Amino acid sequence: MTKSDKPRRLHPKVREAKDLMDRGRMDRREFVRVAALLGVSATAAYAMGGVTPSFAQQGDLPFPQDDSNAKEGGILRVAMQVQKMEDPATYSWVEMSNQTRHMLEHLTFTTPDNVTQPMLAESWEASDDLKTWTFKLRKGVMWHNGDEFTADDVIFNMTRWMDPDVGSSNIGLSTFASMVEEKDGKKQMLPGALEKVDDYTVRLNLSKPVLSVPEDLYNYPTAIVHRSFKPPLSDNPIGTGAYTMTNLKVGERCELKRVTETADGKPFQYWGGKVYLDEIHYYNFDEDNQLTAFASGDVDAIYEFGIEQFELAEALDGEIIEARTAQTLCCRMRVTEKPFDNEKLRQAVIAATDNSVYRDLVFQGRGDIGENHHVSPIHPEYYELPGLKRDVEKAKQLLTEAGYPDGIELTIDVGNTDGPWHQTVTEIMRDQLKDAGITLNINVMPPSKYWEIWDKTPFGATAWTHRPLGTMVLSLGYRSGVPWNETAFASEEFDNALNDAEAVLDTEERREKMKKVEQILQDAAVMVQPIWRPVFTIAAKKVHGYPPHPTQYHQFNKVWLES
Amino acid sequence: MQALTEQEYQDWLTAKGLNVPFYERYADWVVDVFRGDFGFSFEKNTEVGPLLAERLIATGILGFWVFALMIPIALITGVVAGMKEGSFQDRAVSFISVFTTSIPEIATAIFLTVIFALGLGWLPTKSAMTQGFDWTQLVLPVMTLVLYDFGYVARMTRASMAEVMTSQYIRTAILKGIPYSRVIMRHALRNALIAPFTVIVLQLNWLLSGVVVVEVFFQYNGFGKMLLDAALFGDIYVIQAGTLAAVFVAVFSQIISDVGYTLLNPRIRFS
Repeated sequence: MTKSDKPRRLHPKVREAKDLMDRGRMDRREFVRVAALLGVSATAAYAMGGVTPSFAQQGDLPFPQDDSNAKEGGILRVAMQVQKMEDPATYSWVEMSNQTRHMLEHLTFTTPDNVTQPMLAESWEASDDLKTWTFKLRKGVMWHNGDEFTADDVIFNMTRWMDPDVGSSNIGLSTFASMVEEKDGKKQMLPGALEKVDDYTVRLNLSKPVLSVPEDLYNYPTAIVHRSFKPPLSDNPIGTGAYTMTNLKVGERCELKRVTETADGKPFQYWGGKVYLDEIHYYNFDEDNQLTAFASGDVDAIYEFGIEQFELAEALDGEIIEARTAQTLCCRMRVTEKPFDNEKLRQAVIAATDNSVYRDLVFQGRGDIGENHHVSPIHPEYYELPGLKRDVEKAKQLLTEAGYPDGIELTIDVGNTDGPWHQTVTEIMRDQLKDAGITLNINVMPPSKYWEIWDKTPFGATAWTHRPLGTMVLSLGYRSGVPWNETAFASEEFDNALNDAEAVLDTEERREKMKKVEQILQDAAVMVQPIWRPVFTIAAKKVHGYPPHPTQYHQFNKVWLES
Repeated sequence: MQALTEQEYQDWLTAKGLNVPFYERYADWVVDVFRGDFGFSFEKNTEVGPLLAERLIATGILGFWVFALMIPIALITGVVAGMKEGSFQDRAVSFISVFTTSIPEIATAIFLTVIFALGLGWLPTKSAMTQGFDWTQLVLPVMTLVLYDFGYVARMTRASMAEVMTSQYIRTAILKGIPYSRVIMRHALRNALIAPFTVIVLQLNWLLSGVVVVEVFFQYNGFGKMLLDAALFGDIYVIQAGTLAAVFVAVFSQIISDVGYTLLNPRIRFS
């Protein structure tokens, strides 16, 4: 919002939310989040909620405040896997998006404390029924080539995301799922779903109410590329961010440098205020090696270290940053593949496992216990179902009913894509299943090989990253026919229940609605999802403002280095 | 590529020319290689030729230092041990060389890292050379490989030396009263070194494959790490080019070994 703007209409749902908060039916932080989603500027939302932001931003910028002690300059060196930068719309790794995040930006920005704020969009307004969303774009945002950022760029990007030939996973997000329809066997954009009102205004017309639109727009494959974009991005990196990629060697390094002038030699003005770092360098280190690379001072910060390295991390001279997350491992069964098309068999697998032990055995008591429905206790709409109980006798009985009275041999594919803890989880599961007469073979494969089969294998352990809302994950992964539906679970009842829940603002009420959603998914017995894992990272003491983020999104705009 | 459909996958194969019969692809590849074109790396998004050259040079530097240290150490200890079979120095050298050789490189690498990098803090833990070439980052990988490899060559040298020392002409020389040092230097050494020479040259070949573990552990961007990455990713042209290079080194080292052996051993030369 610029000062000249008239004070905008307050969305009636904001009043409703405020009322709910005042009556104690919504907590303050949740109120701030909802108000921000409905277009109230974060500063105002925090003020209305009476919450002190842990992540105070300045003016209308989504970034933390300038630090008066901050020093300019320097190169931040980060250990992370360095990957290809092909097409942001089809990114399937957070690392790729981290390489891109300081170059390409999003319409919105979710801060580490889960509040979504305007970024390239200056503000937005939702209709009362949450079906029409109008985004006002920030004026004066410059592309690295000198062009101005306009509605055409947004239209170009969103059209691409919904183009079945691009194959972007964004189509599974509630926002875009409600802008497409099935045609000729492919999901295609509904006519009129996307509307250019003027050069700085874009309107989304959804077929059903969705609250998470702004949050969806910060999902990592939603980075906004220039309207002339053609993959691969690394060949022609044009962005709106303060940095651009100057050197990319996949598997070795990715160097980002502050942009000072446009392609035609004019001075480049970054819209987002001050940034401190001259350069950001990512050096390729596998996850197992990142902490030791940090130990010898090769890098100033790392992407992540695993729980097995925690002791070593504590011995090092740095600041350990831990984030509670909704990241998880789904040991999921594909319901269209034999023998998992047999529901009784799936139920037997679930009955024979005991989710409560994984947390202690794998993460030394850190993290949260999963309940096989992929909604985490840290999600605002989480509904607590009756606890899962292990029942070996029942498992045996189910197995007999399924037609395997003498037990069965199953094989699970494990890719350890987030580290060796995947294998530990399946090993615990193997021991538990044994008691019920199920022999579990563990097929360990290289991470990249696993990603080739993750959505096809009958039984696989797939890692899912954190998303701010439970409904977002469920929409991406369990809605009938979406690209990332790895369980092939298809239930109209579930889709409808999810639609219902998404349309409700009142957190208490939405939580009630989620009861049904969670219950359907849990009863379908499509996966053992035993744990919500914490993530750990570390930064040197000289690095200031290195943000913890539950999705491990790197947001370095206000990071600075002590010389 | 998580969101790839079957059709997109087929399109991709067609675009990259990967769905034609393998013999056609192989023929194309052979022709291209003779033209100096090793294909394209899907993972690294770059031409394979320059990548291969760069990685071979990196491993070459590593290998050079391994050889430069390993050969003198192995030969000296081997000769000292073999001079007098059953002596204390013989037993000591045998013990150490069997001990170091029997520990896998990965364990040696971890021990050395814990002691010298994390414990004493003298050396960097990783060798990714992020800030350009750095000598200190070479020390641990070189040490690991030397520790692993020197024992083998030392024991070969020892065996060969011990055999020479028991031969008639050495006994005659000693009985004739020629000083012991001269017997060793002039009469024994030359014959004793023929066998180790072939072994050393063949280590070249071993190094190229054995270096994988060390390079991956220390994140050294060399040939071995490239090959492993490519194998895991299914980066077919990189694997082909890497294999070609490995075969070339194997054959080449065999030739050097054979020719060298002939030159060193008059009995072979004149027969």
